Amino acid sequence: MDFISVAPYKRGLIFRDMAIIGGAFVLMALFLRLNWVIDFTIFAILVLSYDLLYGYMGRLSFGHVLYYGVGAYTASLFLVHVSPNPFWAIAAGVAAGAVLATVIGFIVVQTQGAPFALVNLAFNQIGFWLAASGLQRFTRGEDGLPSSVAAVGFMDFNDKPTVFILALICLLAVFLILKIFTLSPYGVLIRSMKENEDRVQFLGYDTFRYQWLTFVLSSTLAALPGTLYAIFYGFVAPTVIVPFGNIEVIFAILIGGAGNLYGAMVGAVAFKLISNILATNITRWEMLLGALLLVLVFKFRRGLTGFAADLLSRFRGKQAMEV
Amino acid sequence: MIETLLYGFTIGAILYFFSIGLSITFGTMQIVNFAHGMIYALGVYFFITFMPVVGRFFPLAMVLAILLSIPIAYIIERFVIRRLYGESLDYAIIATYAVLLMGTDAIKWIWGAAPQPVSDPVGIGVRILGVNFPLYRIFIVISALALFGALRFFFSRSIVGKIVAAALEDREGVRCLGLDVNKYFSIVFVIGSGLAVLGGVLYAPIATSEPYMGFHILLVAFAVVIVGGMGNLTGTFISAFVLGMVIAITGRFWSTAADTMVFVVMALVLLKGSFWKSWQRLTRMGARA
Repeated sequence: MDFISVAPYKRGLIFRDMAIIGGAFVLMALFLRLNWVIDFTIFAILVLSYDLLYGYMGRLSFGHVLYYGVGAYTASLFLVHVSPNPFWAIAAGVAAGAVLATVIGFIVVQTQGAPFALVNLAFNQIGFWLAASGLQRFTRGEDGLPSSVAAVGFMDFNDKPTVFILALICLLAVFLILKIFTLSPYGVLIRSMKENEDRVQFLGYDTFRYQWLTFVLSSTLAALPGTLYAIFYGFVAPTVIVPFGNIEVIFAILIGGAGNLYGAMVGAVAFKLISNILATNITRWEMLLGALLLVLVFKFRRGLTGFAADLLSRFRGKQAMEV
Repeated sequence: MIETLLYGFTIGAILYFFSIGLSITFGTMQIVNFAHGMIYALGVYFFITFMPVVGRFFPLAMVLAILLSIPIAYIIERFVIRRLYGESLDYAIIATYAVLLMGTDAIKWIWGAAPQPVSDPVGIGVRILGVNFPLYRIFIVISALALFGALRFFFSRSIVGKIVAAALEDREGVRCLGLDVNKYFSIVFVIGSGLAVLGGVLYAPIATSEPYMGFHILLVAFAVVIVGGMGNLTGTFISAFVLGMVIAITGRFWSTAADTMVFVVMALVLLKGSFWKSWQRLTRMGARA
């Protein structure tokens, strides 16, 4: 069992960590294909948002991609029908995600365990169907919805480095928000609910409220990478909202190590690297990925970052590591 | 309309074959077993391979496919499922999904990704009241009914069945009697896998067989297990036919919405308690304001 530790992490370290993360992504952008790295950054935000719900609060959901897709479709529709300004499109997409999560969250957080995971899956499937055929008049179904963005001042979002900088700023902002939230008493509370919800209730907390808040926050942050996806690709198809996309997010978080923001980002990049490099170079990459996951589940429960922390603490003697 | 109803019964029968194993693992071990979809698809591909070998004799190829998938099911149970008992839900999902992924890739490796057609083994229809009934579909529905009866007998009369039925209620209680529950679970797991293969083989002439067939039926089968009550075998039987009918009737009027309607039903069943709680919360919030 992971114990809850807050004290060793000083607030000032947040900015050091943000600089490291930003530097790491810029380095990747210099050495890898920029298209890939933008894709990594967007996916990393999605995985970070899922970490709050799953890693910190312990709620496994199969419907997180719904909010990502809603963000992507809302931003696209906004760009096409209302205004080609990307910032307003992002705001519209995130707002749509927040509204939907507030309504759905109110009902679904009252279920737990497998029912929670599967009821979210049901909503995700309904969203997928709406995008693919139910609202075909607006979303153009399987053909996909193209959109284009206008330049704002000196920023032209048809230019890839600009999109990369925007995505990276969003990633750092989400990291900062989540770091502040998870270090606060609220963060301790949601981690306590992961360990034992009944005891938190005995302490007099209305756990429903915090679970609802976490669900809404996590889902709203998931809509943000969706809007970035719409701006980056200028094209949205039902594949962004397909329920099996959730599996990728869960894989990524387990590879990196759940319940830990660094793990979420490491896992997102590692998963995307594996699926990009393996898929182009090795025909049987799904088999390799499956084998890797079995090893992860049976041998390295805490993912790459957990493994690294174990190594480091063994190296330094029995010093406690904040992860 | 009669054709739609028959189609609903056929889908329901196939879903029933597939969902029994899923429901048992869910009920006994609290494991969402994605690997069930892999056994299903693999069994159908075995069947397709055996068909030319045994001279297109459908029942023999079917029995051979089931026999060959039994050791594979046992290996999965012994080395993956059993090690996951008592773990949290997520690790079980990831591990069994990894098995599904590997199995699907193995199918693509061995047989290729192209869909494999299987011809209708009976092919004769009976005409009743001017409507043409394909005999084969009626046979599927009857075999599902027979299976329900057989399973009822198995779980109420045989020793293995009784032990598993008791363990579905109270696993620790059965262990306290000095019985090795795991042994009986693996027997039932293998039976469930064999039934999934049976369902897959029976479905093969109606549907197209492709490597990802296990993924598609899994999602709908989860809904069947949830609606029927996890580990409740009579409930699974009823919900399989109800949801099969939902698919058939929705599909008749609105073909793209068929699968989604199943999820709507599942969400309603899962949320039946939550709606009431939400209503209470809303009224309380209203009273305070």
